[in-house]
Amino acid sequence: MLDIARYEARRRVRGTVALTVLLGLFALLMIGLFPSISESGADFEAYVESLPPAVREGFGVSGAAITTIEGFLSTEFYTFVWLLLLGLYVAYAAGDTVAGDIEDGRMDMLLAAPVTRARVLAEKFLSLLTPILVLNLVMPLFVYGGVMLVGESIDAVALVAVHLLSVPYMLACASLGTLLSVTVHRSDVAQRGGIGAVFVLFVLESVTVDTDYEWLGLLSPTRYYDPAEILIEESYDLVGAAVLLVAAIVLLSASRVIFERVDV
Amino acid sequence: MAAIEVSNLTKAYGEVVANEDLTFSVREGEIFGYLGPNGAGKTTTIRTLLGFQSPTEGTATVLGHDVREEASLVAAKADLGYLPSNPGLDEDVTGEEYLDLHASLKGDDRRAELLDLFDPPLSRRIREYSTGNRQMLAIVQAFMHDPDLVVMDEPTSGLDPLKQESFNRFLRAEADAGTTVFFSSHVLGEVRRVCDRVGIIREGRLAALEEIDDLLNRGGKRVRVHTEPPLGGSSLELEGVVDLEQVGRETQFTFTGNYDALLAALTEYEVVDLEIDEPPIEDVFMHFYGEA
Repeated sequence: MLDIARYEARRRVRGTVALTVLLGLFALLMIGLFPSISESGADFEAYVESLPPAVREGFGVSGAAITTIEGFLSTEFYTFVWLLLLGLYVAYAAGDTVAGDIEDGRMDMLLAAPVTRARVLAEKFLSLLTPILVLNLVMPLFVYGGVMLVGESIDAVALVAVHLLSVPYMLACASLGTLLSVTVHRSDVAQRGGIGAVFVLFVLESVTVDTDYEWLGLLSPTRYYDPAEILIEESYDLVGAAVLLVAAIVLLSASRVIFERVDV
Repeated sequence: MAAIEVSNLTKAYGEVVANEDLTFSVREGEIFGYLGPNGAGKTTTIRTLLGFQSPTEGTATVLGHDVREEASLVAAKADLGYLPSNPGLDEDVTGEEYLDLHASLKGDDRRAELLDLFDPPLSRRIREYSTGNRQMLAIVQAFMHDPDLVVMDEPTSGLDPLKQESFNRFLRAEADAGTTVFFSSHVLGEVRRVCDRVGIIREGRLAALEEIDDLLNRGGKRVRVHTEPPLGGSSLELEGVVDLEQVGRETQFTFTGNYDALLAALTEYEVVDLEIDEPPIEDVFMHFYGEA
């Protein structure tokens, strides 16, 4: 068992290492900017407070928090990179899993072997854990080290939690990409669809805050994972994480039902 | 039990009927040629047999397992090899890694033996492979678990003639050892060299199903004759002369009649040169596919 997952996971190692190093360096760069931003203090807070509520919500910013290392990190790094960029990335990567193989005949080769479609789907999905786990294991080290280097301190538990709780979020985004991948059998369409869906849901959640349509945000995975809340308030939304896991299971089950019935 | 049993199989993609009411069976241990021009529906049948797509109507069994039942068909696939014309391979892994994956899924008892015959550069990434090397890797992959049945879709299209020849010899030996081979092709010459029996598919329907020898006999012989004086276009009025044409001083025609009658007719001329040969296989093909 898990032969396909291991094989696919190995194929993701190179890309994962490159992405981890790149994002690690980006994290260090952002943290390096923190001392000068924190010095500008009140001016920066005033600037942030002048932003429209939807933007503040979208990027998890609040005036008082931006000049603390936790607020700064959650706004400038975790909301941008972890919530948005990596959410898009895993949805994109998942979009290719099935559709890409179908498109150029690799799925035929695989399905000619004695494996069920459900197994192929499950193991291909599991291989997405390579980037998800490696990034979440390595990045806290970069961030913690960087924070120490600029002479600040950050709560290690909150830092671990922000990564741990991002795993269900990324699994949910990956499931969304997988569902697209078994539905539209063109890799580029599934990939762009994955990116588009996660981005639209993110925006939807942001712009409906404090409006009559705030409930629409419930549809968005970004509602259930909030790096700012975790880092600044040290409040951990375990219910949100459970909702994301359930959503991932539902989306994957739907993907399985579809994939078992379609002509590849 | 037949290795493959196709019963009233129809596969339509929306309005387009790619396979229509196909019924035939492939016996155990034979090399069955599935012959038809490009677009006739050969790949559709093969992909339905392997469960990649479901039949619109009818069904088929592979090694006794219904292609509509995934759980059942998966069991059959442990004893099945698949070789498409343009195999989809993972470009970023080495040939070795690719074979390792397939070995873990279905076994590789015969891997070393096959690699002596077909030798793609295993340590290189598949991205760097030539068409021939890709095909050889796919051949090893298709046979390394010693399958009872191998389904091949235009398998030799990427191989150079020398490798094609050794592949055909290999296939013959496999069939003699009891492996059933289902072999699709649009090249009659290839099918003639390799197959025992042939099913001809045309526009999604089965046009003929016969032993390869019968098929060839039906095609007649190709006659080339150079006489002095040259035979005129209509001067050879003989039963069984088809497609007569004059090329320079040589007369060519396909002959399906009696040889004695032909030779008697030719004694009236001075025969400078005479050649009686297997027909170009395409002529036999025309017999089934020509508008005539």
